[in-house]
Amino acid sequence: MGVLTAALGTVPLWGSDYLVLFFFLFCLYLTVAQMWNLLAGYSGLISLGQQVFLGIGGYSVAVMGNYYGLNVLLSILAGGFFSVLLALFMSLFIFRMKGVYFSIGTWIFAEILMIWFSNWSFVKYGTGLFIKTNPPLSTNETFYIAFVLGVGSVALVYFIMRSRLGLGLMAMRDNEDVSETMGVQVFRYKLYCFLIAAFITGMAAGVFYIFQVFVQPYKAFSIDWTVKLVFIVIIGGIGTIEGPIVGALILVFLSQVLADYFSVSLLILGAIAIAVILLAPKGIMGTLQAKLGFEILSPRRK
Amino acid sequence: MQRELALKVDNINVFYGEFHALWDVSLEVEPQQIISVIGTNGSGKSTLLNAIAGLLQPRGGDVELFGEKISGMQPHQTVVRGVSLVPEGRRVFGRLTVYENLIMGAYTPRARKRRSTVLRMVYDLFPRLHERRNQLASTMSGGEQQMLAIGRALMSEPKLLLCDEISLGLAPLIIKDIYKKLEEINRQGVAILLVEQDINRSLKACQYAHVMLEGKVVLSGNPASLTLEEVKRAYFGV
Amino acid sequence: MIDLAQPIINGLLLGGLYAVIALGLSTIFGIVRVVNLAHGDMVILGSYLSLAFCMWLGLNPLWTILLVAPIMFCVGFLIQSVLFNRVLGKGMEPPLLMAFGISIIVQNFLLLVFTSDARALKSDLSMMTISLGEINISLLYLLNFLIGLAVILGLRQFFRKTFLGRAIRAASDDVVAAKLVGANTSSIYAYAMGIAALTAAVAGVLVGMTFIFYPHTGPQYLIIAFGVVIIGGLGSIKGTLVGGFILAMAQLLGAHFFGPGYQLLCGYMVLLIVLAIRPNGIFGKA
Repeated sequence: MGVLTAALGTVPLWGSDYLVLFFFLFCLYLTVAQMWNLLAGYSGLISLGQQVFLGIGGYSVAVMGNYYGLNVLLSILAGGFFSVLLALFMSLFIFRMKGVYFSIGTWIFAEILMIWFSNWSFVKYGTGLFIKTNPPLSTNETFYIAFVLGVGSVALVYFIMRSRLGLGLMAMRDNEDVSETMGVQVFRYKLYCFLIAAFITGMAAGVFYIFQVFVQPYKAFSIDWTVKLVFIVIIGGIGTIEGPIVGALILVFLSQVLADYFSVSLLILGAIAIAVILLAPKGIMGTLQAKLGFEILSPRRK
Repeated sequence: MQRELALKVDNINVFYGEFHALWDVSLEVEPQQIISVIGTNGSGKSTLLNAIAGLLQPRGGDVELFGEKISGMQPHQTVVRGVSLVPEGRRVFGRLTVYENLIMGAYTPRARKRRSTVLRMVYDLFPRLHERRNQLASTMSGGEQQMLAIGRALMSEPKLLLCDEISLGLAPLIIKDIYKKLEEINRQGVAILLVEQDINRSLKACQYAHVMLEGKVVLSGNPASLTLEEVKRAYFGV
Repeated sequence: MIDLAQPIINGLLLGGLYAVIALGLSTIFGIVRVVNLAHGDMVILGSYLSLAFCMWLGLNPLWTILLVAPIMFCVGFLIQSVLFNRVLGKGMEPPLLMAFGISIIVQNFLLLVFTSDARALKSDLSMMTISLGEINISLLYLLNFLIGLAVILGLRQFFRKTFLGRAIRAASDDVVAAKLVGANTSSIYAYAMGIAALTAAVAGVLVGMTFIFYPHTGPQYLIIAFGVVIIGGLGSIKGTLVGGFILAMAQLLGAHFFGPGYQLLCGYMVLLIVLAIRPNGIFGKA
């Protein structure tokens, strides 16, 4: 594991520009997907509205950088901060909803923000904003930030799952009755996870849109983001820490290889998704774990 | 000459995941017979009926209906061959009317062809159902729902009727009435396998009884030869 | 008052269309207990199929319903029997991702065949209006409303009076009891999805005649469908109709007071308020 992480962290030193780009995208997708996994796989919160935090993160770096000249790292942090604020506000509504209703509720929030931003003169309506960072970042520098987020997100979920919070989540997942009797605590655990996921997702979004140089409401708040996250996590294996790693690698690889055939590549993604659910409903890592009986990054204490 | 059996359960074992629910259970039902299985809650008697009907798949052993192997079949396949289960808790379709419930009972193509004839027979057997035919099933009393559940099961013209706890939660008078109907059904040539917690009632109705405890048949015999003491001891496992 | 009458009447008419859009989603949830996230894409697939028949046979879009509906019935039947039936009873995520997968495939298939150009099903109807004093009623909206109502009432009769309809209701009431009377529930589910797709096809043709559409428009209608069933409660035909009216009314009144840019926003706001007050919808069971 250590060797692989080190190799990933030093890609700019030995790899081509193309590889840097490849692993940059990998790290960011991994980060955001790992957070979706924390929600859907460990906390039972199937959010279809994660794009709301991607949009907020993207707009944060744009607004903070362009309008207020804030330092780029602080702008990225601000993206996480605003996402947490929004998540808190959202929780007032959506945490009253269960199951499917929660999923739809999160999605509706994302749609509301999409419409709001596209009608808001401050962020130039639907045209979107160019992003100027202070100071300007090189490709390699953005890569390192993404790398820190990627590794950090995996480590974070790992440590969360070994903490009291994680034990509570595991108990909830394994036994519905336990969670019934823990009422208030369950609510608090789920809320923590939702806020943590919002924070990290908002930051990752900032880095992504710095790289994109441009943020626009119809893309930033699009359900397409969540479609990709669901794809990554379920293909890789929901509720496993390694799942999003494998899934993100597959997604970035496929989208790069098939970049010239945009719609065909998505057709293939869809077909792969369906094939995996039919053949290996627990995803690649989930199925491997069940077959081989071991986990590389076991969150359970020995 | 070998006698023909309506049902032959031969050494079946049933599991829920890791839990071993039935252990080598065997029993036989002759045509024209009423056979009782007595046992407490969780003794495995409902599991046995569900396994015969095909809701559960036994992992070992065989179930034969008039000589044909039916273990491994799905419920919609066993119904076609003449098995009909009156499930525990009645499970009538609450948001359907009484008439619609009965129509659903005649689901198989063969039953659908003979629907109006059989419907008349069921209405004759349970005039109450005819009175209430346009009422939603969920609005009826427990006894009426039990009649409906039995009527619905009869609509497929079964050769073997499986009855799961049909007296549960009902007043004694109604239970008596329902048991009278069962004997009538039996006289018309339907073999019946009866599962009950009520020892006296089922011993009186049947020609042969089995007592189950913790997934095993622990005592069998015809009611005349079994003493109540004996049955009770087997029933409670003391 | 007279200027309010216009958005209210339009809202009522549009509500009928919204109800048909949501009908299939609600039906499938009520029966199979699956939230079909590909429902919006099925609606748009219906629009494109109609477009293809219009271009190929030169038909009026309205008549293509007769061709598109049976085709979509088969599509729905196949999707359920080949795909969804295999992932039932394995938790909430597998059917969800299955629907996502279907959604991606449908959208990109349409993109491949029809390109990303904006499309519309053109007919003479789109320009015609009936004037009642100062109120103008679009003939197309009226037609949407009437066809929508017909589909909803027809479906209700189907569920009440036919053997298959009764079997579908029985299976949604108690799936074990349905199995015990000899019903093959997998095939019942397949028919149910076929019917849901059929209603999506009708909705798709009407939507295509009324608004422009792209290969990626599906999720937009999925969200409208969600809105309708959230307000009306999942799985209730009556609720679907009421939900359609409320959502459309909220949107058009919002547009009337705050400007067209806020039409969708107002619809969502009403949704969130309904959800916050009644987390299972107005007609939903707690």
